[in-house]
Amino acid sequence: MLNLKKTVFFFVIALALNAPFTAHAKPVLDIKEITSERGLKAWLVEDHSVPVISLTFGFKGAGAINDPDEKQGLARLLSNTMDEGAGDLDSQSFQKRLRDLSIALSFSSARDNFSGELKTLTKNKDEAVRLMHLALTEPRFDEEPLERMRAANMARVRSSLADPNWINARLFNDVLYGDHPYAQNSGGSLTSLAAISRDDLIAKHKTLSKDKLVIAAAGDITEAELAEIIDTLFAGLPETAAQGSFTESPSIKDSAVFVYERDVPQSFLRIAWPGIDRADPDYQAAQVFNFIFGGSGFGSRLTDVIREQNGLTYGIYSYFQDYDYADHLVVSTSTKNESAAQMLSLIKQVAANITAAPVTDKELQDAKTYMINALPLTLTSTDQIAGTLLSLQFDERPIDYLDQRQAAIEALTPEHIQTVGQRILNTPSLSVLVGKPELTTSVIPLTELPNVD
Amino acid sequence: MIYLKLILCVFTLLTFNLTAAFSSALAQNTSVQDDAPREKTFNAESFLLGNGMQVVLIPNHRAPVITHMVWYKAGAADEPDGISGIAHFMEHLMFKGSGDLGPGEFSKKVRSLGGNDNAFTSQDYTAYYQSISKDELETVMRMEADRMRDLSPPEEHVTSERQVIIEERRQRIDNNPAALLGEQASSALYLNHPYSDPVIGWKHEMEELSRNDALAWHSRHYAPNNAILIISGDVTLDELKPLAEDIYGSIPSRATPPRRWSTLAPRNAEQRLTLAHPDVQQPQISIALTIPNITDDKQTALAMDILSEIAGGGPTSRLYTSLVVDQKLASSAGFRANTYTRGPGKASLYATPLPGTSPENIITALKAELEKLATKGVTEQEVADAKTRLQDAAILSRDSLTGPAMIFGYGLMSGETIDDIEYWPYDIEALTLNTINQAAATWLSAESLSERQPVISILLPQATPEDK
Repeated sequence: MLNLKKTVFFFVIALALNAPFTAHAKPVLDIKEITSERGLKAWLVEDHSVPVISLTFGFKGAGAINDPDEKQGLARLLSNTMDEGAGDLDSQSFQKRLRDLSIALSFSSARDNFSGELKTLTKNKDEAVRLMHLALTEPRFDEEPLERMRAANMARVRSSLADPNWINARLFNDVLYGDHPYAQNSGGSLTSLAAISRDDLIAKHKTLSKDKLVIAAAGDITEAELAEIIDTLFAGLPETAAQGSFTESPSIKDSAVFVYERDVPQSFLRIAWPGIDRADPDYQAAQVFNFIFGGSGFGSRLTDVIREQNGLTYGIYSYFQDYDYADHLVVSTSTKNESAAQMLSLIKQVAANITAAPVTDKELQDAKTYMINALPLTLTSTDQIAGTLLSLQFDERPIDYLDQRQAAIEALTPEHIQTVGQRILNTPSLSVLVGKPELTTSVIPLTELPNVD
Repeated sequence: MIYLKLILCVFTLLTFNLTAAFSSALAQNTSVQDDAPREKTFNAESFLLGNGMQVVLIPNHRAPVITHMVWYKAGAADEPDGISGIAHFMEHLMFKGSGDLGPGEFSKKVRSLGGNDNAFTSQDYTAYYQSISKDELETVMRMEADRMRDLSPPEEHVTSERQVIIEERRQRIDNNPAALLGEQASSALYLNHPYSDPVIGWKHEMEELSRNDALAWHSRHYAPNNAILIISGDVTLDELKPLAEDIYGSIPSRATPPRRWSTLAPRNAEQRLTLAHPDVQQPQISIALTIPNITDDKQTALAMDILSEIAGGGPTSRLYTSLVVDQKLASSAGFRANTYTRGPGKASLYATPLPGTSPENIITALKAELEKLATKGVTEQEVADAKTRLQDAAILSRDSLTGPAMIFGYGLMSGETIDDIEYWPYDIEALTLNTINQAAATWLSAESLSERQPVISILLPQATPEDK
């Protein structure tokens, strides 16, 4: 299942602009906005070199954030069952039709948004559109596949209980987001998954309305063909549907270190600081800051010190966890229990260094070059391109955003990067460890694992 | 290197991806007349440098970018006794200084040019790659050639990197009960064969790996005549050839040791491995057995591709339909066969039991499916559908920059030729129902398994007093 948040995250770290750093002659992507006869809009990048079409769409704000606490996992279960039988086709008939025609059709639910993805060979395009339309407008939610998907999700939760990283994420979200819906387990808990009924799915399905819809396509399809297809595809969806209202998630008041004890040889760690919203004027500076701090993996300050110089971990990364109602910078890593104290103190030291002095000119130049030149590498298949177009629309970016962004990145100075680093890191942080970390500082023990049972 | 995703898990990762990768290697149009010229799938071009290094170019002009890969015919299965993990450790140390670059500078330089790089190790090979703007192709070729020629990792970096691979082992294996069990199962399955040792190495041997072990490994295996250069992307043969001849062609060839691996001994007893672990709440069952690989027996191996497609993954496959949809014993189930290996091929069946289903019930059901496949075979219609899907997968595989380069790497490393890969769809198309069912009967029937007894892995929660 495609995780949309991951797409966005990837996009953010790897996103850059026009190929050569200085040349503006050609846009990064030749994106066209089309409008159908019935007034639907879509973004398209045409490429006829391979007979494949990727079409993706999303319902903004219809994701897991709306799940009632006692029914967390509802959006996920909806995404799992919409392709399990529709119209006159039961689950096995529907899936067999997809398989026989090599059509990839799926739905996915992220924290904020709910999406659908379709990838097909050009020769099977009409049937692909018909099946997606059926799944969107006439899902059956038959008992047999619903129970099967429920059981598979519960098995997934039980399997994940052997994964310290997954356990860490449950605790981290709970500590970080408190009473906000982002604290929930978007994949559901054993109790909540059991509580979701067919009626819940039917009601949730009705919230997928045209007023929340954004559409993107790439590959072997013309503007006129796409215009026609989307009118067929989305015919019959409700024009509007109620939308929950949410507030920003709570801010971090005081620094704290939480530990959930688990008998494993290696501790898993996440640390959060406040992030930078995508509408913030410092947004591009923050992206570059993150790249240098820990976003790039090799070459980043964190990897240099913690992996290369001290051999403390196999991987350490920083990334922005950007949601509609929360923004955090997160560092994630793991190390043997005996090194946990050293790990925490080295991360602190790297954070202190990067805020104490401007990054070097070379670091900044290298980061700019990467963020600009590596973009085409993330746009080498039709599904990657369509996914990027969808993210831009979710984020309410202008159609020439990829080109605009280049200028913004080029203009950044070491001082600006330092300032945004201070804005993020000179604030309280929350740390969550899972394992048997040997620590010297005072910690808050966690004994309950929330949103799992 | 070393990043979490692609790496090493090597063997698991490979086993997992191979069939899919090869499914991708399919042609568009296979229903051709006998005398019609066969169409290639990827239109790859190839030549040999004077020093024996093979070069493969897969043209892709969609975007001005390339993927540049060097694959060495040396993997964990080539390791001498006592230094398990050295092939993978070498992979890490290749980033620790070569040519003009100091420790850690290789990846930094690639990033600074706007590219991504990484590497991965398996039982059969070790591979390095960069994806980058076509304008930087020459630069990354020179960097890669430098570290083929000579390596200069400082001792203190060897020491810290050894800690990194041990942390990697903790993260991938020691912290993960399913991976711990998988490691034991491979060790049992590949009796008397080097695949029985994990690619990442046994921890107590990893702790002793030295700089000298690594340098000896490098000089023994990292020769141009023991490597294949694969480039996918926006470059032509005329542009590539002089660069390859100048950059890689100038490295002298060296004698490399013959790859003589110990061979599988008969497995006369079925083996059941049970790991009951306090962290486990969801049982998992799998049954593994060895089968011929693509060079041992091409027809059987190709038949296994079709059989996996029919019995294997996907919600309408035989195993899923039977165990999950109809019998309601499991929440997932599948079958896969991987024959694109230099050593033994492997077939496995697996299932995640629903609460209330005992492991014994699952094992019985999985064995029944295997026996049904072997004795009753598959139908003409199932075969026709599977062939169509595999052909479609070929077209879809071309919607990628790096995917086709991986397909060639896997294939060539397993001993296939370029033509085997280009024309695979025709070979699949040519398989008859009889050949496929014969392969199932010969290699999967209970009778045929007398000297290839399966290894059954059972992952369980640790029993508690009020155990269910």
